[in-house]
Amino acid sequence: MKAKSNGKDFCMFALPGLFCFLAVVIVPFLYGIYLTMTDWNGVSEVKNFVGLTNFAGVFKDTAFWTSLGLTFKYVVAVVILVNVIAFLLAWLLTRGFKGQSFFRAGFFTPNLIGGIVLGYIWQFVFSRVFVNIGEATGWSLFEASWLSDPAKAFAALVLVTVWQLSGYMILIYVAGFMGLSEDVLEAASIDGASGWVKMKNIILPLMMSSITICLFLTLSRAFMVYDVNLSLTAGAPYGTTEMAAMHVYEKAFTSRQYGVGQAEAIILFIIVACISGAQVYLTKKREVEA
Amino acid sequence: MNKTTVGGSRRRIMNSLAMAILVVVFIAYMFPFLMVIINSLKQKRDIIKSPFSWLFTIKGLSFDNFVKAFVQMDFLNAFKNSLIVTVSATVLVTFLASMLAYYIVRRNNWISRVTFALMVASMIIPFQAIMIPLVSIYGSGLNILNHRITLIFMHTGFSMAMSVFMFHGFIKGNIPMALEEAAYIDGATHAQTFFQVVFPLLKPIISTMVILNALAFWNDYLLPSLVLTDKKLLTLPLSTYSFYGTYSADYGTIMAGLLLCVIPILILYMVLQKQIINGVVSGAVK
Amino acid sequence: MRTRNHMKRIAAAALAAVVAASALSGCRFGFASDPDDPNEVKETEPIDTSVDTFAYDDSLAGTEITLLNSKAEIQTALEEMGRAFEEKSGVHVEVMPVTDGDSPYTKVVSLYNSGDAPTMAILDTTDVIALAREKALDLSQEPWTKEGKDYLTYVDGKVYSFPLCIEGRGIIYRKEVLDEVLGREFDPQSITTLSEFKALLEELRAAGMEKPISLAKEDWSLGAHHLQYIYETYDGTSEGAAEVIEELKAGQLDLTKYDRMSQFLDAFDVLMEYNVAKADPLGADYDEMAIDLVDGKTAFWFNGNWAWPNLEEAGADKNDEYGFLPYFMNDDPEDFVNRQIQASPSKQVMVDGQMATEKEQAAAKEFLNWIVYSEIGQQMLVKTCAVVPPFSNNPYEPSDPLSRAIYERVQSGDAFNASAIVPNDHWSILGAAMQKYLVGRSDRAELIASIQDYWLQQ
Repeated sequence: MKAKSNGKDFCMFALPGLFCFLAVVIVPFLYGIYLTMTDWNGVSEVKNFVGLTNFAGVFKDTAFWTSLGLTFKYVVAVVILVNVIAFLLAWLLTRGFKGQSFFRAGFFTPNLIGGIVLGYIWQFVFSRVFVNIGEATGWSLFEASWLSDPAKAFAALVLVTVWQLSGYMILIYVAGFMGLSEDVLEAASIDGASGWVKMKNIILPLMMSSITICLFLTLSRAFMVYDVNLSLTAGAPYGTTEMAAMHVYEKAFTSRQYGVGQAEAIILFIIVACISGAQVYLTKKREVEA
Repeated sequence: MNKTTVGGSRRRIMNSLAMAILVVVFIAYMFPFLMVIINSLKQKRDIIKSPFSWLFTIKGLSFDNFVKAFVQMDFLNAFKNSLIVTVSATVLVTFLASMLAYYIVRRNNWISRVTFALMVASMIIPFQAIMIPLVSIYGSGLNILNHRITLIFMHTGFSMAMSVFMFHGFIKGNIPMALEEAAYIDGATHAQTFFQVVFPLLKPIISTMVILNALAFWNDYLLPSLVLTDKKLLTLPLSTYSFYGTYSADYGTIMAGLLLCVIPILILYMVLQKQIINGVVSGAVK
Repeated sequence: MRTRNHMKRIAAAALAAVVAASALSGCRFGFASDPDDPNEVKETEPIDTSVDTFAYDDSLAGTEITLLNSKAEIQTALEEMGRAFEEKSGVHVEVMPVTDGDSPYTKVVSLYNSGDAPTMAILDTTDVIALAREKALDLSQEPWTKEGKDYLTYVDGKVYSFPLCIEGRGIIYRKEVLDEVLGREFDPQSITTLSEFKALLEELRAAGMEKPISLAKEDWSLGAHHLQYIYETYDGTSEGAAEVIEELKAGQLDLTKYDRMSQFLDAFDVLMEYNVAKADPLGADYDEMAIDLVDGKTAFWFNGNWAWPNLEEAGADKNDEYGFLPYFMNDDPEDFVNRQIQASPSKQVMVDGQMATEKEQAAAKEFLNWIVYSEIGQQMLVKTCAVVPPFSNNPYEPSDPLSRAIYERVQSGDAFNASAIVPNDHWSILGAAMQKYLVGRSDRAELIASIQDYWLQQ
């Protein structure tokens, strides 16, 4: 496009996509913010303006803050594990093995299944298959269902998320590795840089752009986990694995406090926005032009 | 990348070790699918009592679950619905997002910057925060729910941000201005330049986005469940509802239904697989 | 490239296999054929349509109405009923399921918001009460209110909902298993107190059945079906339950001094002690419980008559002798809790009074009357849907042993009709507290405190 700007280009190139986006995402979101300032319960005819009462309700809802604390723990675990595993596997998968494209495809397959069904499959694996293996082998790790112990149920949630997300991130890291310039790597080898030094001083800085995007995607997805949480543990055992997004949904519909639930969703959004904003800012700073 | 074939025995050992790790991890990744395939062929009682067995303890191994799932899901009709929605939305979002991303990259004005920032931020809006306002606006407000076209429009809108984000990175990093300038010198319009010069160059990122978006549309449950209530319009994931009872679920049929849903997307994936891997998603990062 | 072709071939083969399977419908291969194949299509009970004295309103023919169904196990039965009704009346009833992952309430809320409210909705009593004033049609003048008068729910003195079925719960027993293990004829009437029940369990233990009870770990079972006994057994009426709840909300009732609370926990402790999954109570699997009872691995299962489809699927036969024991709470044989089991209307049909046209409302009312008064509707409610009808004029008896047990107890007065109306999150929040107690991570004091706290926050 030539530098000279005109409205016709905007209408043709930008407007249709922008319209879809605004109409489906932004307008309902703004309307949602408005709803948090009313006493609407989801079904009533009248909406009375109540200001920030619902936000006050959020601060009184201790279960929300507990679930948020748990979500932080979960996000930290997921972000680290997903990125380390995906990074290492991607590195292995770009070393020129025979059949590496087969492996890459295989690692991506968990993403072929939707979140809710995925949770059910894993629930089945944890509560039936593992217990069965436990009975057959006598391994104490699988003796009881993982989902009946708070710590193990949490581990199960992390495991399933890592299983699914790492396949997606492998895709991005693989592409990043393939984009690395051979010359740079070879020059490094000639200079005698070996193993860890090469990784730390040359590969990592060059991979920073892939890391930025992967961190952003894992952070935001982990914060908003809902499907897997609902279908794998549904908060069990005794409400110890309820994450923020699930709590928001429960608050709005099971406890029937729509306004408070909506306000909690907005607060969750603000928190995620701040954290991922900071993350993108920090990692972007470390990126180098390849 | 053939460097690895040269080198000494230490390297060979490292390579076999790496290969061994890969295989083990790969099997772990595939384990749940193996469970799905095995148990989709079994009866509920055997699934519950001995999920791990295959050849030894169970009485009958059959395709009954598949037949049952096929019939109860009204598979052909649901397949048609899913296909229409997925294909239309995927095509639409591919064109609209690539054009919008192109505009944002090449026109660095305030609209571009605000749009891009808004889109990135929107990727972290929890869906729960939009759900009820969305049905409120499009249902009681505009009264256009329960049409396929509404679902297609919404899918397009929801996937716009991520798609623009990916296209934006690719265009910025991989499409040199020089080509376009040459086209303008030849007297091409902006539209001609985009569709004839730029769009073909986007092929790697397009195939990546096609599979990612198609996958998301094909598997999505929550949004279609809010938009579609008419049974004739149900998509594949929605059509499996009858397998879940209030108190327990029909595992065998669920797994068979799941495989029936996944097979079409698996085929698409395998067709596009090479493109995706070579799609150099890293381009999207720059 | 080679691997790609390889995978393509695998996919093609898999696809071909599936297609072949669907073509050769019913064809099975295996290692031994199983004569009692539970996957076999269940034979449906025949409906006699020869007599029909119901007066249809011809002006309603051609009307289309919708019914939102939150009772997944009767989805196909309701569809059949809708077809039978359409044939006779010309009114089309579209049965919409509440799909997995949605709660009925969420679904109704989103449907009202989308301007596409169902003409009728099958909901739990709490949902009806939450929605009645704003959305529901007043049904107080409908003729069926006479036939079902014991099972109506009143909101502000008006009837807004149609009781679809009576559901009862208690300790399900399997007589054949008990006879065999005990080595004598088991008489359910002989057990009249908690101590006697415990003695029976000890006898079973001595006879080799270590842990005879299946106890579900699900929060809806623990939080609603177990815990709600503390309200419902106050005096065995819904009014009594409401009274307890009001006192709890007002902070006037100290649960540590409330007899039914400690009695309930005494009973629950017995169930916990003989729980077949005692080693890992939260690892218990609902479907496995049905199988265990049918196989005779256990003799008792705390559940309700809605469990029949699960038992049948696990291989139970309609002629097997299943029945209910009361939820024994103390040692007073005269106390009604030790003689009667709880049975009350659970699912209710609400008619939309806000968005539906008059004609649609009239058609919905006709459908409900048809269920109560027409020969076909009466039969289908009992035989096709297999529920216990709350209407005194319905001459048909349920055919499965669990529903029949409830039906007989209701007829003979051995059931108490009390349902506690609790907030919608009661089962999930207090269900979690009960789970904690079940695994021994909390004691009575902590459990009671969390119940008390819950009510004070309402």
